[in-house]
Amino acid sequence: MAATNSHKTGFRFKKDYYGYLFIAPFIIAFLVFGLYPVYNTFRLSFTDTTLMGGAGDFVGLQNYTRLFATPQFMKAIGNTWLLWILNFLPQIGIALLLSVWFTSIRLKIRSVGVWRAIFYLPNLLMPAAIAALFFSLFSFFGPVNQALVRSGIMAEPVQWLQNQTVARGLVIFIQWWMWFGATIILIMAGMTSISVSLYESAMIDGADEGKMFRWITVPLLKPILIYVFVTSLVGGMQMFDIPFLLTDGRGSPSSSILTNNMLMYLKFSSAQGHIGAASSVGVLVFIMTSVIALGIFYFLREKN
Amino acid sequence: MKANHGATLTISRALIYIFLVVLAIVTVIPIWLVLVNATRSTVEIQQGLSALPSTNLLNNYGILEGRGLNLGRGFTNSLFVAVCSTVLAVYFSLLTAYGIVVYDFRGKQVFTSFIILLVLIPMQLSIIGFYQYMSRLGLTDNYASLILPVIASAGAVFFGKQYFESVVVRDLIDAGRVDGAGEFGIFHRIMMPIAVPGAVTLGIFAFVAAWNNFFNAFILISSIKKYTLPMLVQLMRGDVYRTEYGAIYLGLAVTIVPIIVIYLIFSRFIVNGIAMGAVKE
Repeated sequence: MAATNSHKTGFRFKKDYYGYLFIAPFIIAFLVFGLYPVYNTFRLSFTDTTLMGGAGDFVGLQNYTRLFATPQFMKAIGNTWLLWILNFLPQIGIALLLSVWFTSIRLKIRSVGVWRAIFYLPNLLMPAAIAALFFSLFSFFGPVNQALVRSGIMAEPVQWLQNQTVARGLVIFIQWWMWFGATIILIMAGMTSISVSLYESAMIDGADEGKMFRWITVPLLKPILIYVFVTSLVGGMQMFDIPFLLTDGRGSPSSSILTNNMLMYLKFSSAQGHIGAASSVGVLVFIMTSVIALGIFYFLREKN
Repeated sequence: MKANHGATLTISRALIYIFLVVLAIVTVIPIWLVLVNATRSTVEIQQGLSALPSTNLLNNYGILEGRGLNLGRGFTNSLFVAVCSTVLAVYFSLLTAYGIVVYDFRGKQVFTSFIILLVLIPMQLSIIGFYQYMSRLGLTDNYASLILPVIASAGAVFFGKQYFESVVVRDLIDAGRVDGAGEFGIFHRIMMPIAVPGAVTLGIFAFVAAWNNFFNAFILISSIKKYTLPMLVQLMRGDVYRTEYGAIYLGLAVTIVPIIVIYLIFSRFIVNGIAMGAVKE
């Protein structure tokens, strides 16, 4: 018996170098399509390269100092954080609430799978199409104005998308609407993996539902909550399709929905095609997001 | 006392169901509007909201065609990009994941941690460097620049790793070796058939991601013949179509319907797949 085992391990050991062959395509594709573009973006950010003028000269930190000198950059960073936080908080709130209801033995909610499947649907739809839909719904001659005027709620149509609060509110709503279902599924997966015996012994000790949620569910959900938080943050910092297509693509009204990626695109698509300057936006947001995301992920995980 | 407790439970359940119904309506209404309005004329749409379809579907298609928007070609382009991306992403992610799960090579731990790191890094922000590099290679306005990068999809590899850890049977691999199969032969002929459910889940996510991808296509593709559906959606916001609501909704519906069909068929794979792809460590 022992002999067979060692024979088997020996057999496998000799083949272990095959692992490198299996991961080789990934590594090559990563170097060519992942790492080199990151290096190239860093490199370009120190030059004044334009699409029209070809290879530019090394200009040191000029793109960066210019960027910090324009109020637009700080505005874009601020907007991106605002739009992300204001959709993430209700998203996680609703997801926690629904997950508690759906997994509650006492409430016995029926057809949990069906509810969950409905709430998840928007996550699969094309963000560009959803943005175009809301653009059309809230445009001046669009159905929302028509319905409100016809039903007598409003005397005359309103330029909804020229109002900062409405524009921001719509971006936040769409992002929330597209993501709360996915968050429910993740949090429920975390909750159902918590052992029922923990709740049983807590009930014997006389804990109520609120206490059990605070002292059992939340601590044991921490890894999944960190995952949801970090992946949502990384996605949120790259927000583009919805704010870009909801108004004029420049963040109107008055740059209120101009995000990091939109600013990067504006520099890229400017008349000269300032890809050096566009790269510096990419680099700064890349560093900001990576440092925060990896920091949260590893710092909180280690403590666990 | 006990009856009272039961009554509170009934009330709270009723309130919860009302809440769920309202939330479901909020979730479905925008989608329903697109589908219904795609079949209504602009005049009908402006007369108000309706829950029921009308008969103007072909007419709306005619309006789009008449203004030079080739929805059929956009659909074919999107389908081509999404299918190629799906095949490459599924095959190479499973290949990489299998390598990590089955073999004990030096650097395996580092490589695995690196994959998780990549999931957490905003790679899309290097698009400018990617664009300039592709233009040097003459690959801008070429689907290769959209499709080939999916070979290195960190999230998909992570999912594949989780999946193989639960389905790989060492004895089957050893039996294959005894029968004289090569290592790649074992992967292709023994493990791939076992991994079909995982491949389906992975494939759906890869397809949806490629189908919906606007930003990369918007930066990399320039000739209108090669536009994918999200780029046509962007065109439809232009002045030419501004008040042709029926036609706009039809264009949006075309992007949404295939995804809804996939979801109706595979929803179980999808819902289970999301939880499995999460980094739970």
